[in-house]
Amino acid sequence: MTINYTRISAFIFLLIFLIYSYLAGEIRVFAFDENADFNARTFPKLISYLGIIVSLLTLVLSKNEEENMSQYEWISVIILFALVFSYGLLIKTIGFFVSTNLFLIISYLYLGVRNYKVIIFSSFPVVAGLQFMLHGLLDVYIRDPFLQFLGVIS
Amino acid sequence: MIEGMMMGINTAFSGYNILMVMMGCFAGTIIGMLPGLGPMSAIALMIPITYGFDPASAMILMAGVYYGAIFGGSTSSILINAPGVAGTVSSSFDGYPMSQKGQAGKALAIAAYASFSGGTIAALFLLVAAPQLAKVSLSFQSADYFALMCVGLLSIAAFASKGQFLKAMIMTALGLALATVGQDSLSDITRFAFGNINLMDGISFVLLVMATFAMSEAFMIIFKKMDINFKSSDVSKTSLGSIKLSKKEVKEMVPTIGRTSVLGFFVGVLPGAGATIASFLAWGFERSIASAKDKLKFGKGSVKGLAAPETANNAACTGSFVPLLTLGIPGSGTTAVMLGALLSFGVQPGPRLYVEQPELFWAVIISMYIGNVVLLVLNLPLIPYIARILAIPKNILVPLVLFFSVTGVYLISFNSFDIYFMAIVALISLVLRVLNYPMPPLILGFILGGMLEKNLRRAVLINDGSFSFIWERPISLSLFIIAILIVLLQVYQGFKKEKE
Repeated sequence: MTINYTRISAFIFLLIFLIYSYLAGEIRVFAFDENADFNARTFPKLISYLGIIVSLLTLVLSKNEEENMSQYEWISVIILFALVFSYGLLIKTIGFFVSTNLFLIISYLYLGVRNYKVIIFSSFPVVAGLQFMLHGLLDVYIRDPFLQFLGVIS
Repeated sequence: MIEGMMMGINTAFSGYNILMVMMGCFAGTIIGMLPGLGPMSAIALMIPITYGFDPASAMILMAGVYYGAIFGGSTSSILINAPGVAGTVSSSFDGYPMSQKGQAGKALAIAAYASFSGGTIAALFLLVAAPQLAKVSLSFQSADYFALMCVGLLSIAAFASKGQFLKAMIMTALGLALATVGQDSLSDITRFAFGNINLMDGISFVLLVMATFAMSEAFMIIFKKMDINFKSSDVSKTSLGSIKLSKKEVKEMVPTIGRTSVLGFFVGVLPGAGATIASFLAWGFERSIASAKDKLKFGKGSVKGLAAPETANNAACTGSFVPLLTLGIPGSGTTAVMLGALLSFGVQPGPRLYVEQPELFWAVIISMYIGNVVLLVLNLPLIPYIARILAIPKNILVPLVLFFSVTGVYLISFNSFDIYFMAIVALISLVLRVLNYPMPPLILGFILGGMLEKNLRRAVLINDGSFSFIWERPISLSLFIIAILIVLLQVYQGFKKEKE
């Protein structure tokens, strides 16, 4: 049996379902439910059996598929992932409008857009339009200290 | 029934809902045109916009997005041989050669007329079949529902797996496991939350759909260095030509439309099948029954070869609403996303929907007619302009898709944890997709998980803890036999492939 990415992933899934099975057994149920025919543990247990069986079968039966993982743009995706993460951090503190525009502008610049007109037209009007639609038309409140400070929203 | 239908007509023909259909078709056409972003991503991106809507309007909008996306996918297939969605791959077999001959306008018109006819004929079938099936399904008990959901999960895994049934089953199990996070519906006991307050209510359906489809698709475009954008000159230089069809071409199209709309509808009704299989089947079917002379034209710009998949994919879209509306079981990944959206509105699709909320049930069906007219009247003349969207560079598109995904999830909870969690799920989905793990079974498992547990619990408790309902109830038994057959078929195909 040779090691390939499918087998590695199947092995990880097998571990996940084994842990899931253990945790399913640890779910606290009410005393009167402990010996019931069906309690909060039953369904997760059944899922874990299904998961363990299919992961094991994949581990044993998988064929050798060559997948060259190094050909992909890992770094770009990780940077975009970090940008989304930072966006999540900033959205609460500096508000929706500024954080979203920052996220869009940095992403455009990182992905190679150099035309400043395109950058500006694909960020500010889009964000302002969406915020107007949500806040002004659909009555969805978005906390935005910056726009409140400017007096644009109440 | 007549009273319910009248209520549905009233709802569907309200100015607001007509606007929803138009918006849905328009947005769906644009998103469906972009290679990579299919109907599931399109609907997922629409969910946040529907928050303030009533369920009928939201459903009408999403249905419009669905068939708009299929139509949009055909446009990019025909014009530049780059299918926006899998369901329109077979449209490029004959559509693109027509385009190259300078008949792009004609090809688009055939696609529009065929989609319109397929969608309309299938909506007529839906009109007749859905109430009948809803009546039959009223006799279903928990055990039968459990069996039906098992069939649905297995068939989605079988059809969506592209030969990787075991991987699809792992995704199904993972989806079911994710559905158990949060409070147990009967005892209110918290499961798998690990003391994290953000997980106590369970994982949000919108978060999972956005992360696994929209966001991971955006990551994938960068990850695989996909060249999805085309120069605006490439799009505009495609000579459209006339959109008028000759009498001979119409005569050629009509029987094909008749046959393939029936085929498309029934394939769409089958759980797991959907527009992709319907369109390939229709193209193959028409080719096999064509005369020797006509057969040679297939793949080189045949009218029949384009009309067949276009009719079938739209008919299948309509057909996939039958199990969703009547049984509450989605027939495809896209309708699974719609089911999730309906559940978040507090609407439980199923046989009771037809009785309790006839205005919603009928409004969705009737809006399909309006949607088909909108696609024909509004989108066809606008196609040359809409096609320019293909020229949006990926480095503009990707941040915008990420932004809409994040905003959509943030607007539900206003909780930054959801954004972090979503980014992590998207990254994991990206890796799984590269390793050929299909995502629709995960979503279906997640959506059906709660219902599956509820029905299994009821069935077991009614049977005093016994699983004998599997062979004691004829409906359950038949459904379980179907489920076993699906598994056996996959095993057989696996062995056959191995031998080859």
